[in-house]
Amino acid sequence: MTQQHESRTKENKPATSRFSLDAWAVTLALVLSLLVWIGWIKHIPW
Amino acid sequence: MASSIALSQSRPLGFFKRIAQILPGLLLLAAVGYAGKFLERSFTAYGKAHHLTLPNIEYVLWAIVIGLVIANTTGVPAAFKPGLATYEFWLKAGIVLLGSRFLLGDVLKLGGISLVLVAIEIAVSLVFMTALGRAFGLKPKLTTLLAVGSSICGVSAIIATKGAIDADDEDSSFAIAAILALGAIALFIFPLVGHWLGMSDQSYGLWAGLGIDNTAEVIAAGALYSDAAAKVAVLAKTARNAMIGFVVLGYALHWARKEGTEGVGNKAAFLWAKFPKFVLGFLVISVVATAHVFSKDQLTSLANLSRWAFLLTFAGVGLRTNIGEMRKQGLRPFVVGALGEVAIAFLTLGLVFGAEKLLR
Repeated sequence: MTQQHESRTKENKPATSRFSLDAWAVTLALVLSLLVWIGWIKHIPW
Repeated sequence: MASSIALSQSRPLGFFKRIAQILPGLLLLAAVGYAGKFLERSFTAYGKAHHLTLPNIEYVLWAIVIGLVIANTTGVPAAFKPGLATYEFWLKAGIVLLGSRFLLGDVLKLGGISLVLVAIEIAVSLVFMTALGRAFGLKPKLTTLLAVGSSICGVSAIIATKGAIDADDEDSSFAIAAILALGAIALFIFPLVGHWLGMSDQSYGLWAGLGIDNTAEVIAAGALYSDAAAKVAVLAKTARNAMIGFVVLGYALHWARKEGTEGVGNKAAFLWAKFPKFVLGFLVISVVATAHVFSKDQLTSLANLSRWAFLLTFAGVGLRTNIGEMRKQGLRPFVVGALGEVAIAFLTLGLVFGAEKLLR
């Protein structure tokens, strides 16, 4: 496989995240909880 | 060297490109969800202003109906689809945040009851759906997908099983379409039956969590009944979701033996890969809330954040339901799924009433 072909294959390959959708959702929820706890987010209305 | 520079430069661009792809659909989810909230308020205000006794139609129903109307009349342009697909992300983030409304003791008590009922429900449903699929002459792998989809957790379970048993794309899209169509129907029927039977919030929540397949529809059906019912429904469904790895592993081993292919190597790694991580996030937040780390106002803010996340989810439930597409998938998998769902609904209703009597 030539270097050019290799780099083209790398570019064509869709970027796969190391994190799953679940892990991202959990991370977001935990970060938001932390921001609420430390007082960065004061009040969320509904 | 040149390629590495090209790759490192394309990463940030890729991130912004992804955001740009998601943004239109995300804005549509927010607009539909907020329109549902606006209509709920306006409808109630109109009733009060004109001294009319109007039914209290929750924003959940408005958001789903608006989404359904858009998806099945004008249709959703392709540019909105990547953003609409994020509804599942909001669903999971919303469930984790909802953990703040549960004390660990409640989670263990209700979760314990749910786990026992879930084990019975899964065992009976798998056997029943498999027999039904055979009786209707469905392909064995399609039957497996339908059985897993209707006994555990809908679309996620079907996708996880598809990879594990190497099923056809056609079979999985059949199963997903049937499960989604039936979930959409159950979403409207369960609250009506619950009110008709005069079920308590806890019993109804437990029933919705055990009987409806897809997590988004479970939460919507719970929220259509009451806030308290939605909480119990989420917990029961979370217990059901936690079983996904075990069932998918069982089917992966069964099909590997049947087809003489290579089985599952490291079973613990397989179980971890299939385990829904948001269940752990839900438990973490619940433990933190139980330790009184958050003040009352902070708990209210977290609960409201969870509501906003669910608002986007409910809009997504309506917007991704394409009735025409479901009609194209054929009648037989739908009939098998429908018969199975009705049987599971009766079974879980019996289980819930049985558990209620035992707990009294």
